[in-house]
Amino acid sequence: MSFLHPLALFGLAAAAIPALLHLLHRRTPPELAFPPLRYLSEAERQSARRLKLRHLLLLLLRTALIVVIVLAAARPLVPVRGGGEHEPTAVVVILDNSPSSGAVVDGRPVLDHLRVAARGSIARTSTADRVWLLLADGVIRAGGREALLASADSATPDWRRLDLVQAVARAARLVHAEPLPGREVHVLSDLQRTALATGHADVPPGVRVLSLAPARGRPAANRGIASASVAEGAVLVAVTGSDGGEAAPLTVRIGTRDVGRALAAPGAGAAVSVALPPQRTGWWVGEAALEPDELRADDRRPFVWRVAPPARVASGPAAGPFLAAALSVLRDARRVGEGRDVIVGEVPAGSTGRWVVQPSADPALIGQANRALAARDVPWRWGAAGTPGRLVSRELEQIAGTQVTRRYRLEPTGSGGGGGGDVLATVNGEPWLVRAGDVVLLGSRLDTAWTGLPAAPGFVPFVDALVNRVVAGAAAVEVAEGTPRVEFHVRGADTIGATVFALDARESDLTPATPELVAAAFGPDALVLNDARLAAERFAGTRRADASALLLAMALLLAAAELGVATLTR
Amino acid sequence: MPATRLDLLDPADVARLGGIEIVAEGVVEGFLAGLHRSPFRGFSVEFTEHRAYQPGDELRYLDWRILARSDRLFVKQFEEETNLRAMILVDASRSMAWRGAPERLTKRAYADRLAAALALILLRQRDATGLVTFDEEVRQVIPARVKAGQWTRLVRGLLDTPDGRGTAAHAALQRLTALLARRGLVVLLSDLLFDRELALVALRYLRHRGHQVIVFHLMDPAEVELAGPPEVRFTDPESPASVVVRPRELARAYAATVQREVAAWRAACRRHGIAYHHVQTDLPFGMALRLLT
Repeated sequence: MSFLHPLALFGLAAAAIPALLHLLHRRTPPELAFPPLRYLSEAERQSARRLKLRHLLLLLLRTALIVVIVLAAARPLVPVRGGGEHEPTAVVVILDNSPSSGAVVDGRPVLDHLRVAARGSIARTSTADRVWLLLADGVIRAGGREALLASADSATPDWRRLDLVQAVARAARLVHAEPLPGREVHVLSDLQRTALATGHADVPPGVRVLSLAPARGRPAANRGIASASVAEGAVLVAVTGSDGGEAAPLTVRIGTRDVGRALAAPGAGAAVSVALPPQRTGWWVGEAALEPDELRADDRRPFVWRVAPPARVASGPAAGPFLAAALSVLRDARRVGEGRDVIVGEVPAGSTGRWVVQPSADPALIGQANRALAARDVPWRWGAAGTPGRLVSRELEQIAGTQVTRRYRLEPTGSGGGGGGDVLATVNGEPWLVRAGDVVLLGSRLDTAWTGLPAAPGFVPFVDALVNRVVAGAAAVEVAEGTPRVEFHVRGADTIGATVFALDARESDLTPATPELVAAAFGPDALVLNDARLAAERFAGTRRADASALLLAMALLLAAAELGVATLTR
Repeated sequence: MPATRLDLLDPADVARLGGIEIVAEGVVEGFLAGLHRSPFRGFSVEFTEHRAYQPGDELRYLDWRILARSDRLFVKQFEEETNLRAMILVDASRSMAWRGAPERLTKRAYADRLAAALALILLRQRDATGLVTFDEEVRQVIPARVKAGQWTRLVRGLLDTPDGRGTAAHAALQRLTALLARRGLVVLLSDLLFDRELALVALRYLRHRGHQVIVFHLMDPAEVELAGPPEVRFTDPESPASVVVRPRELARAYAATVQREVAAWRAACRRHGIAYHHVQTDLPFGMALRLLT
């Protein structure tokens, strides 16, 4: 409890007045002769208990009356649930305008609902509060109430995903640092389960986390394109979405021309491959599109690929029979040509040219090869023999899972020991395929005595990727979160790569988090409330109402009771 | 004429007219004029002879038999007896010298005037009347006589008795029983602020001896309804006892106690054949005397 006029509490000393008056009054009563004293003594003896009770009651009532009046004058603020003013509070309003907030539920965008709730939170603040607004862009906006209301009103579905766990953790730390009596974080989100699946927020004690509960009922059976990438002349499209989503028609376009159709069903690992028509050399942009549904933002996704001229490859006897056979196949298919753009060998000679080098079958030559690598400033070397294992690679899916029985460990030689370049495949967590500048190093020879790769169906595509794409290292297509678009990377007059912007695939799963998941993410004290309860609970921890009117009414009652006792018990 | 009826005026106003004698005579005159007959008729009057009726004679004394036989008007003549012996006992203790307000008589002053008036009535009826004043002890004893000047002696006895000390009336009353050898009328004027049971023992003994006993319980109105400052220490004029009370909060209980005490006296007296009258000192003397009729 706090007081608007705490100095008035000094008046509580007046509560002693009735007792003091009683004591002082008793000291000097006038003295009068009264013959029938025996009657008086008898009457007093018979009334002693009643009078004692009456005196005590009157003393209590009068003392309580003074106390209540003084308290009313001090204007006490008492905690209340509904209505009233709250004490100064630091509050962060998290308005989740991530792409999923654009979903239409019951004919109304989710963001409209969230915006109204955000307005409610911000509008309840006063000048004594510290208020921030956090949107999906991750920027914590401070400012006056009107400015923040305008920001909330102008918020539209963003293309960026909002990690609610991190957002709540940041907000909680921010309000916790404020020296104000109240600290709250209001989470106004559709509470996708995918937004809460990354650990839990450290919410300091004293910080209240209030979350708006998602709408009741089954979530929209949304489908969205999780990824679209081109490999080996086809576009691989993965479809994701909420639980229960059905298969939907998928269209692949290049420009305005539909080049393929398929039926795609959402689900983990579900992807469809649509063959692309041969294109001329250069960079190409396409688009995969689904039928429109409740969430339009994830119905389209661009993709980009580069059609490069066949690499001219030179290989000697050191390449081995399997690699030579694969190159021969590729030459027949015009995927590679004759020349020295790329050299396949065991020891990279010279300081120029792109090299694909595999370890020599003769261990005595490993040292020489390592020296040659060092001479080319390649920060990798072959080390001791490694243990057998299976290949793991995200970039070269065709070799993933293939058994490696013999290999050399690829060891970095940089001063920091971290090496340089890219690790493209690993065995038992140790690099097996790395790219450093113009050189690609293999941990094993491409021979069945070292690995099962030459006998695998993906061997020729792997060699194709190795000489046409991997060793060139320039045709990287990156994926980033943002407004769906494609941005090309240029160096001089050359286009050396591209970035495909699209929304995070996790946004397509509109399934709301369970209460257990919310508790795990925000802490067990976090509250998940519907609109009405959220309105009641906002600032409830510090909400205060002026109780002076109630106290004055109580004073009137006490005065009436005192009058009644003084009159009726006489 | 009500304006001249001193017996019906406020006792304090009447007392301001003069001494006890004047007041008593005035009161008795008014009282008898209002009564038209003796208050004690029947125990002291005896027929002697007839005489001719004269205008102004009371019709009740007409002899209807003579009227029937001779058609002449005669009235009966009576001779008053002197064999009634009345003794008036006046409590002269300290508590009797108290009054609740300056404009009122003290209980003692009221008792003196009432006793004088009563004695005058009795003596006019030729009843032997005496007086005893007492507090802790018997202070004055004037034997019952009917001779001339007796009333003056009684009044002098009242005036010569100062306000006494405490009241131990039962002791004085017990001594009085020895003085009242012949049966007669005993009138006690007191505030009865003494032990009821012990006093009743003496009164009962008088009754047992054949006396007709009348008790006037005198109280100041302020003793009936408790009033005073918000808080006050009341002291007993006859003892060191005192008590601090708030009259307003104790008034109801006090009034109930007084009513119980009066009722107890009344019941006890009735049980023993004693006439009991509760008289407040603002009651006109005539009204108090009328209680005897």
